Amino acid sequence: MRYLPALGSLVAVGAVLAALPFLLSAYHVALAAQVGIFFIAVLGLNILTGYTGQISIGHGAFMAIGGYTTAVLSRDHHTNLVLTMIAAFAICLVFGVLVGLPALRLSGVYLALATFALAISVPQLPLKWSKFLGGRDGVQTATTPSHVWLYAAAWTASAILFVLAWLILRGRVGRAFRAVRDSEIAAVASGVELPLYKTLAFGISAAYAGIAGSLFVLATNGFAAPDEFGVVLSLELLIGAAVAGLGSLWGILAGAAFIGLLPTVSSSVPVIGSAHGQDVVFGAAVVLVMLLIPDGFAGLVARVRRLAGA
Amino acid sequence: MAVNRRKLGALLCALLITAAVAGAAAASHTGTPGVTSNKIVIGGTFPLTGPASLYKTIPAAEQAYYAYVNAKGGVFHRKIVDNVLDDQYDPSQTVPQTQKLVEQDHVFAVVGSLGTAPILSTWNYLNKLKIPQVLVATGDAFWGNCVHHACQGGTKPWTLGWQPDYPGEAKLYAKYILQKNKNAKIGVIYQNDAYGKNYLAGLKTGLGSSANQIVDAESYNLGDSAQVIAAHVVALRAHGADTFVIFATPTATIQSLVARTLIGWSPLTLVNNVSANRVFELLAAQNGANLDGIISTVYTASSTTQPNLPGMKLATSIIHKYAPSLDQSLAQGDGNIIYGLAVGWTFVDALQHAGKNLTRAGLMQALRNMKETKNPFIYPGMTVETSKKRTFPMEQLKLIKWSGGKTGDWHAFGKIFSGLH
Amino acid sequence: MATAETSRLEGLRSRGAALGGFGPAAISVLLVAAAAALLVGSLRSSTFAQLTVQGLALGSVYGSLALALVLVYRASHIVNFAQGELAMATTYVAYQLIQWGLSYWEAFFATLGIAFVLGTVLEVGLIRPVLHRSAIAAVIVTVGLFILIDGVVTWIWGGDFKFMPSPFGTTIYHVGGVSIARLYFGILVVVLISVLLVWALFRFTKLGLGMRAAALRPAEAALVGIRVDRMLAIGWGLAAVLGAVAGLMAEPSQYVLEPTLMQPILVYAFAAAVLGGLESPAGAVVGGLALGVSLNLIVQYVPAITSELQLPFAFAVLLAVLLIKPSGLFGRRTVRRV
Repeated sequence: MRYLPALGSLVAVGAVLAALPFLLSAYHVALAAQVGIFFIAVLGLNILTGYTGQISIGHGAFMAIGGYTTAVLSRDHHTNLVLTMIAAFAICLVFGVLVGLPALRLSGVYLALATFALAISVPQLPLKWSKFLGGRDGVQTATTPSHVWLYAAAWTASAILFVLAWLILRGRVGRAFRAVRDSEIAAVASGVELPLYKTLAFGISAAYAGIAGSLFVLATNGFAAPDEFGVVLSLELLIGAAVAGLGSLWGILAGAAFIGLLPTVSSSVPVIGSAHGQDVVFGAAVVLVMLLIPDGFAGLVARVRRLAGA
Repeated sequence: MAVNRRKLGALLCALLITAAVAGAAAASHTGTPGVTSNKIVIGGTFPLTGPASLYKTIPAAEQAYYAYVNAKGGVFHRKIVDNVLDDQYDPSQTVPQTQKLVEQDHVFAVVGSLGTAPILSTWNYLNKLKIPQVLVATGDAFWGNCVHHACQGGTKPWTLGWQPDYPGEAKLYAKYILQKNKNAKIGVIYQNDAYGKNYLAGLKTGLGSSANQIVDAESYNLGDSAQVIAAHVVALRAHGADTFVIFATPTATIQSLVARTLIGWSPLTLVNNVSANRVFELLAAQNGANLDGIISTVYTASSTTQPNLPGMKLATSIIHKYAPSLDQSLAQGDGNIIYGLAVGWTFVDALQHAGKNLTRAGLMQALRNMKETKNPFIYPGMTVETSKKRTFPMEQLKLIKWSGGKTGDWHAFGKIFSGLH
Repeated sequence: MATAETSRLEGLRSRGAALGGFGPAAISVLLVAAAAALLVGSLRSSTFAQLTVQGLALGSVYGSLALALVLVYRASHIVNFAQGELAMATTYVAYQLIQWGLSYWEAFFATLGIAFVLGTVLEVGLIRPVLHRSAIAAVIVTVGLFILIDGVVTWIWGGDFKFMPSPFGTTIYHVGGVSIARLYFGILVVVLISVLLVWALFRFTKLGLGMRAAALRPAEAALVGIRVDRMLAIGWGLAAVLGAVAGLMAEPSQYVLEPTLMQPILVYAFAAAVLGGLESPAGAVVGGLALGVSLNLIVQYVPAITSELQLPFAFAVLLAVLLIKPSGLFGRRTVRRV
């Protein structure tokens, strides 16, 4: 994968990440964990959208499935939280493949809108099975992790999943993904089994979103409720992937930081203030960023590299 | 070139780390958090933007009340600073915003936060840290039921509600219906979530053995169109209901009332008090709803039907001075403004009872032993009371009936009902 | 060309293709049958008639917004996520104009003009600069606008309820046991006239011809002297006008003006546009009408689909349609030559 940066910078990032919890207040550590959570989700979505060219505006639904898996397993069986995350990964992998199957028939904007429908429908389901899934009053895990645990879990998972993604994308599977994105017809002509790789991409990205969802619920004090998984979450993931751009680790970090931190920061902006700031500032920022760097952060990095004469 | 860049990078890192450490160090406090010799810092999370932002007048009114108190010198010479933060009614935002209040702003207490799911997402955290989470703006029964009994992992003694709870309110409606018509055939429209279902459960409890007189209960989703809501109303009539109970949020209530008139149906109609804000009813009437005779309840005083009460005069002057943008709404009878002022009054009263030596435990002690009879903003004659046995501060309601059509208002009748539990 | 796919869906598709596809003829038959069923039902039951008229009225609002989405898609091949919020914002503009003293219809037409300008400015200023670089970036711009417009409207006017006088009053017609508000007929008439005017523009005017050419064959159109950029901008402007009509008709139908007015409607408009086929204006309108009527009738006649299942059910149906006809009911499958 082109975007694996120099080992030196990776070590530096690792060192900073390891040091942060000792330097920041608990609140800021929680925010840093939030960035880690979105890193995982954006990474997964990047695999689907960036590498196989399938658009999904429904990954908030997979986050919801992952999050509720953790919450329910913990509430009912007091399952170890890490085990619940693995369960979320597995369950979302299955659901992702299931969604990927009918998605084979759809392309481009139709796929986008079908996944949008998913984003809207899935959060409704806890209202139906409210005894099991808590309805609007939500589901609470039995144990609530500390800020530091959350931070460690989020960034450890990020590291593991990043390496996993790198391994997948550098090999045969990755080449197949890229072939699918660049030209489905050429891919098929070259013997790439379209359905297999397209559904695989869906499954993997959904599994990533599932883990992100687990951590997301744990970050919400272990509380899972429909109000957390609205349409805006799926839109934010897409925004994060677009801001990240394609082909750069730093891009994914930038995208994750953008959607993880900016809404919170927006609500404390002076002048517009807490009463109105969030949507106005965040929305304007999204528009501006896309106008200025349409290819995302990765595009910016590529341009800078070119300018630096690399 | 590369060497310089690396050096620069290292320098920047060092600066960043130093700044972070310095910031962390400066944040440490001694003594009761949020209390200094001249300030009390509190905070709360509210939907200031997003789909529930219609309720942002509540924190605005609370802040206006604190401004009024501050102008008179504050409480024991301490001015109240209220940090209101936006959570868009989304628990995943309530949690970081609450953490911010606790860990950045070092608030003394979290006061007035709005929304059941938002509160549920933070009550474990706040109770574990022994931080008061009080006077929350939701009528769920959790806040009274979980003080001595464990809910979701333990008792929640640091969480306190304020307003009369929804199931209690619904029980009163059941009593009233049976009183008016022993053989009433009841049709209910309710929001398909915990909010609506809690009301419905309360109604059934109140009806007791007559619960089978509910001929049909139609649930609708938040966001359903007025036409779908109208279809539910039609279904209720088709089931033969002669009594219509609406347990809905304001938009759907307005739409149900309009639909009821449009199909030419005039059953005895009851509306929950969250949606009985005069402003909403006027809107329904302007759209053709015939409101005369509909029933609800109230627990705050009315700026429109009781303008001469000292409390209402005070309300008008406070809002005019400290939140003039709310003047017009108050004049129209927006009950949420009175609600905010009333909650502010309760909090300040508790601060005064907690004494000069202010601690969190002292505040909770005051709030759990209230006998507030002089709150000028609640309905005259009602009290806000708590004790070891009584964990719901307000357990009284007064029935109100609408009269006067399109320019009418709610008029209270009958006695004050007490002991909703 | 494709590898041996043996899924049952594929079999269905190839059988359909063999039959000449679920072509326009089959769809038209389906539609006529549906219309006949609605008519018969209305004659037999006053409730059914009420629900149908209401459903058609609200469905026309869905259709108008869906048509706006289709216009934009045909012009720029992206989905404008902010179409609904733009419609809501223009409705607030009308509200403000009325507060400042204009009569309803004066405000109505002034708002359509303002909407047109907003739509063209949006395309020229925010979409065009990014669209050629990256389609996804342009879509994200519309997502950002979705959030931004909501924030700005709430900032200026607040999140509480506003009242707009209904242009159709509160009169109710009583026809043979059925009471239907004049409002619904009014909405249907206004939307249908707007849609027809837009259709006439496209069909009978030189400008319309230019716009169609610019959308279908931009390179060739430019060669014959058509200002393609201008056509695209006008397309977005017209879409904004249709959105404004949708918003202005949605508000009296929902009785309350609040910032969330168009959000559920946008969802149904997406569904209608996809159902009808994103390149088909007629499909969008028919899709909207069908959706509006079905939603109402389901509540009444299929109570097993309880409220929390309604939206998932609607989408399941949509998905089913798409699986059989991936380019929508009225869409044409494009054949790509390798």
